[in-house]
Amino acid sequence: MSERRKRFGWLIPLADLRITLTLLSLSMVLIFVATLEQVRVGIRGAQAEFFESFYGIWHYPIQFWGGEYLNPFPIPIPGGYLLGGFLILNLLAAFITRFQWTGKKMGIQLIHLGIIMLLIGQLATQAMQEESRMQTATGESKNYLERFHGVELAFIDVTNPKTEQVVALPQGILEKGGIHYSKDLPFKVKVLDFGPNCEFNSLPPAQQTSGPTSGVNRGVIQSANLEIRPKPEDFSSEGMNFGYVVFELLDGSKTLGTWAAISHPAGNHWWAQINPKMGDLAFQPIRTNGQLWGATLRPQREYLPYSIELLGIANEFYQGTDIPYNFESEIVLKMEENQTRRALVYMNTPLRHAGKTFYQYQMNKAADYTVFQVVRNPSWLIPYIACVLVSIGLLWQFSFHLIRFLTKNSKANQASA
Amino acid sequence: MNLLSGLLNKLLHALAAFSMAGLFSCSDHDEIKSYTAPNHYDGPVVAWKLPEQWGENPGVGGMMAGSFHVKTGQGPQGRIGVMPFRDSVETPQIVNMFARELGHSDYNQSNLVEIMEKKDLAGRSFDLIRLEDKSGDEENPRTALLALHRQNEQTWLFPFIADKRLVRDQLDNFYAFLGSTILRAGKTPVRAMAPSLPQAQPANSNHQPTWVAPQHWEQKPATQMRIGNYAVSNKSGESLDFSITSFPGQVGGILANVNRWLGQVGMEPTDEEGLKEYLSDFTIDQKPAKLVLAESKEQALYAAILFHKGRSWFLKLMGDRALAQSEKENFLGLIDSFCLGDH
Repeated sequence: MSERRKRFGWLIPLADLRITLTLLSLSMVLIFVATLEQVRVGIRGAQAEFFESFYGIWHYPIQFWGGEYLNPFPIPIPGGYLLGGFLILNLLAAFITRFQWTGKKMGIQLIHLGIIMLLIGQLATQAMQEESRMQTATGESKNYLERFHGVELAFIDVTNPKTEQVVALPQGILEKGGIHYSKDLPFKVKVLDFGPNCEFNSLPPAQQTSGPTSGVNRGVIQSANLEIRPKPEDFSSEGMNFGYVVFELLDGSKTLGTWAAISHPAGNHWWAQINPKMGDLAFQPIRTNGQLWGATLRPQREYLPYSIELLGIANEFYQGTDIPYNFESEIVLKMEENQTRRALVYMNTPLRHAGKTFYQYQMNKAADYTVFQVVRNPSWLIPYIACVLVSIGLLWQFSFHLIRFLTKNSKANQASA
Repeated sequence: MNLLSGLLNKLLHALAAFSMAGLFSCSDHDEIKSYTAPNHYDGPVVAWKLPEQWGENPGVGGMMAGSFHVKTGQGPQGRIGVMPFRDSVETPQIVNMFARELGHSDYNQSNLVEIMEKKDLAGRSFDLIRLEDKSGDEENPRTALLALHRQNEQTWLFPFIADKRLVRDQLDNFYAFLGSTILRAGKTPVRAMAPSLPQAQPANSNHQPTWVAPQHWEQKPATQMRIGNYAVSNKSGESLDFSITSFPGQVGGILANVNRWLGQVGMEPTDEEGLKEYLSDFTIDQKPAKLVLAESKEQALYAAILFHKGRSWFLKLMGDRALAQSEKENFLGLIDSFCLGDH
């Protein structure tokens, strides 16, 4: 043990129990602050600002005692990555320098190893988990997922009747702006402006628009004379974010016009119902060199090598109430080489296939469609392994002490007898 | 115990490496993605190679798959369209949509043959029908050259509407355009409608201005003062007067002219400050201009003012307020089409 402490002496300060207690106390403060902030910015906003960051800025609520004096001052709060990261280091350091590898202490080792796995598993989940949705109507087949958050500017060549060529610029690229090129695109794309949310208004034909669309001279935004006013992203659970992008297409040095697109949060098929002039926002035609391309800003998509056909849906409520007790979707999973599999997806019974899990998320009986929440989480096993390790550790620790106590007790009784 | 601790040590190292990889792994979200997918596009697929002398009209949607104009010294002229029909429509039905506009009596299968010719372009057969306006200029009448192509129970119409000389000059370009087209109808049904034919315009020589007036505006003879002269009326007897006038110089400036017009519609004159209430910035033929919008209880005045190269241009609509409000879009559409003809 002392040899280990000599070899890893530099880790000893990191293994201090006082650090553990401090970090745990700060974690409680973080959870309290994030809970208060959730009312203001929504769950996703609080998660992004305080848990998925190294620090967040909090303002003492004005409604609290002394709030009118304290509210103006920004208070930095250590974020989830900072506290979690230090907790992992603290635990690992303690593991290496202080913990004893004896039968008596093995239970403690396993418990702490399980907790380390839980923390690392959560970190891995945040880094790698992808959540998407798939909306399908009865009788329809779908082979792609759409992200809940994040848009992409997609250019689609539909000239070939059988397949379409898609080139998509994700939100990360749109936010940076600049000129982008792909070998599969017949033009370059110069991103002039992007925003995660906006208000828009159709002006009379001859009235000049201002703001991001003032230079737009092609496409739906030009023909409908739409004016856009950027807005901050709405993180609340009911928030509807209309992302927008303004871009210019370049064929060498020749411009093919300045265009703009807006993404409807419920799907671009809704534009035609809001205003017939805006229906083409789902597919703004661009013709070049005998090809027909369409431009659209839409939720980020992931195409799958298989498809899901919805055969039917059912939703049942407790009699006389509107409390649901069953939502189910009957589907056919169409895989490669014409293999198929029928399945029933309902509450707490998802469909698992090819590393993805399809949960029953929403349903609309009147419009006859279902929505699956699709989760890809490669680290989904880690919390289970962690719980098993902690359970084994607890059992080990309690059993070891119980057996030792019983043995000692028995010897003492024999000695006294 | 040593074996177990050794195994646990290795597991720890693996977990540390895994977490580092997870933290610092590059996200694939910031890369351009390119892939193929099954084609689910429902709309018509029409692609072409546009001749150099043609320009595309922006804002095409709905049933028109494409709309173009010819770039000339007098500005954009003529209109070429691409119209898909999902059903197999009879040729006389299509021809008569245009024939009636041009003063012809209806055609049927037998008399249509006299004005129709077949033309093979790039291995496809097109029916060509030429119609000339019987009521206008005899030397250079408005002409509609219709090209019809049928394939797989789909019908494609390519109308070329312009004056006769322009149609003649652009014939080779029109044929090359037809031969270059890729045509595929969409799944949603399309119903035939005649595109609005441009109204007869003043003779476009010596760089005279041109514009497109709404069909239901009654054109009156031009006068010494009025280059363009129209009357608009409805069934209730309300009416509007529209004029296009031009004078050398600024003829008193914006305030003086606006006050004169306000007086004509029964409104009080205004000053420079009050003028801002009626005035907004505008463009005519890509040149800076002003738009005047004024309404009293019963009358309305809408006007566009352009000062260019030492001349003033006034495009003014005046009359019954309710009728003016309903014609406002048409007034603005006419302004939008106005071209001085000097470029």
